[in-house]
Amino acid sequence: MNWFLIVIAISAGIILLIRDWRITISALLINYISLSLFLVEQQFLPPDLDLPGISISTTALVRLITGLSVAIILSITALTFSKEYGLQNLDEFGLAELRRAARAAQQQHTDRQFRLSDYVVPFWSGVLALIASLTLPQIYLIAPSQAIDFTWCWLGLTGLLTIATAGDLLKIGLGLLLCTSSIDLLYTSVVSSPQASGVGVIPLTLLSLVTILLALTIAYLSGLLYGRLKTLELDELYKR
Amino acid sequence: MLYLLLIFFPISMAATCFVLRQRTVLVITAAVATMLIQIALAAQIPLDAPARLLGTTLTLNALNRLFMLIFLGIGITAFIASLHLPHGENFVPVMLLVLSLASTTLLLQDLFIVSLLLIGASLVIVLAIVDMPTGTSALLATRTIASALKYLVLMVLAGVLMYLSFVLTDIYRPGEVSGRIPLARFILGLLSAGFALRLALAPFHAWLVDVVEDAAPLVSALVIAVFNVIGLLVLVLTFQSFPALLTENAFGLGVLRIGGIVTSIAGGLLAFAQTSMRRSLAYLLVYNAGMIFYGLVSVSTVGLAGAMFEALNQTLSVTLLFISLGLLEQPDGRPANVVRRDLLWRWPVAGAGLISGGLALLGLPPFNGFASKLLIYQAAAQQGWIDLVALVVATVLGGLALMKLAHEWLLGQGDEAPVSEPALLGEIEIDRPPERRLDPEPRGPAILAMLLLMICLGIGVYPEPVLATIDDVIRSLAFVRAL
Repeated sequence: MNWFLIVIAISAGIILLIRDWRITISALLINYISLSLFLVEQQFLPPDLDLPGISISTTALVRLITGLSVAIILSITALTFSKEYGLQNLDEFGLAELRRAARAAQQQHTDRQFRLSDYVVPFWSGVLALIASLTLPQIYLIAPSQAIDFTWCWLGLTGLLTIATAGDLLKIGLGLLLCTSSIDLLYTSVVSSPQASGVGVIPLTLLSLVTILLALTIAYLSGLLYGRLKTLELDELYKR
Repeated sequence: MLYLLLIFFPISMAATCFVLRQRTVLVITAAVATMLIQIALAAQIPLDAPARLLGTTLTLNALNRLFMLIFLGIGITAFIASLHLPHGENFVPVMLLVLSLASTTLLLQDLFIVSLLLIGASLVIVLAIVDMPTGTSALLATRTIASALKYLVLMVLAGVLMYLSFVLTDIYRPGEVSGRIPLARFILGLLSAGFALRLALAPFHAWLVDVVEDAAPLVSALVIAVFNVIGLLVLVLTFQSFPALLTENAFGLGVLRIGGIVTSIAGGLLAFAQTSMRRSLAYLLVYNAGMIFYGLVSVSTVGLAGAMFEALNQTLSVTLLFISLGLLEQPDGRPANVVRRDLLWRWPVAGAGLISGGLALLGLPPFNGFASKLLIYQAAAQQGWIDLVALVVATVLGGLALMKLAHEWLLGQGDEAPVSEPALLGEIEIDRPPERRLDPEPRGPAILAMLLLMICLGIGVYPEPVLATIDDVIRSLAFVRAL
């Protein structure tokens, strides 16, 4: 078993289970770094860039930069939308709405100190995803090894389940990004195999671009939601 | 060079329009000029002459050129309509960007890139859904944010499923049995789920209803008239690239045909159950998506020609429907609390446009949907009378829904104008409520609606030229010959 794949799987599991954005976004960054290192190690793409002490493929470096950009975008979003409200810019109606939102947030905070029940659904869905990810490579061997098959399945399923169990908008974004990571790993490992058509530069570049655009869209929607409701919680969005 | 211009010129114009977005008339004029230049460029590209660009093949066939020209025409219509109809601050740049991505998708043969472009376009459309008009004081509705979020999640998942299936098709060799379930069936399942999400087939249709209800009418027109139709063309390209998916999947195709029938019936039934005009229209679109999908997966020459022709007709009908809807939703001088049920009598062109667009969607003569629906029914009859009866039932349900919509919103009695009462003791003229003045129908969008209506009627009465082009292309498709 490859260590990078283990780190990828564990970080995806953390994103599924944990609610705190500081931990989940860090896990996403680790996930991207591990994915890039895995691709460098496996040499699906021939190295074309000589850095001091290491020869790597440019696309692996692009992957790393994409991961960093996404993590930075989401961190800035989370930081911006969890700080003090700009009270001086609000009129009476805004203040009234803010008081209501603050009461709701306080209530939510007291409710959510640590409730084991919050983790039950993500945990058991994670268990189901684990079983499915272990079973699927037995039925279809798609990637060059079972370990890679397990990892892309696990990434895709945890992404899907993160979306399904998400409590806030950022978590939905993290789920979508896990899904794109899954197809990224599958594409690079499968299409670079001898019997396939070969990895194209444009699909890889476009995938990185789409990943960054996705993070930006999530950040934009977060801004709109926070501007309207002073929270990123989905409960509040669907309450009205 | 022509290909590069076709792809990058609207992108550069989108950036320019974004910078100048406060100057509405200038931006719209520039956008219309861009579309006209695009039409000239598309007309000059030689057909079926592939070109290589960064390892990717670009080519244009007759069918894709026809659709490209229609999309660009729809773009011009939408830009002109946006002079009068409500739209967001960034509508023009977003639409230019989306139309550029649509043109690129029609030129490309690489399905990996196509699926990523579709995801990228969906991300751009999300911005259009939550876009607010310039200088508005209204707050963005939370429902609109929820709709945009739903659209984003489902479109990204659709793209991921499509990408996944394209990776599998890349290593799939026909005849191989590598597992307990044939891989071709697994791939077709993934593809179907991806395209069902994108085309809003039941039970994945919820996003379409929400977008139609919460987004500006012109944005809904863009999503359905351009992007759903692009999805269909990509599905045809997929079948063309991997005909083995169909030849080894007779059972899977049967299931997909049932899916098309269920979608049509569910769409018609749910359209009938709605009380809002927008939701009724949305479910009529779901009905039509089911009909088109049925034609496509019938994988017969007749069915495919019907599906492609209907997709083209849908582009026109949907634009007509949403321009008419945007017009009818404009204030006409009556207070906001008055329920307006006499819209056809008040604004006849918009009312007639809405009814005609609906009739065209249902495929009733003499509108453009008639010939295409007839082909789809013919394909259903080839499969068996049960399929034919089911599709006819779906159309009847859709027809009842349209009648209900017309009865409730268009053909009803007008509210009584307040009767002038004699002045009370001590009351002077200034104390009396002002006499109500109802606004006339806005002329610009009404002319556009009329023009679209004439085109729909024209194609309905004389469909041969369009049908001949579509038929020629369909007959040359490898997977049709293989089946």
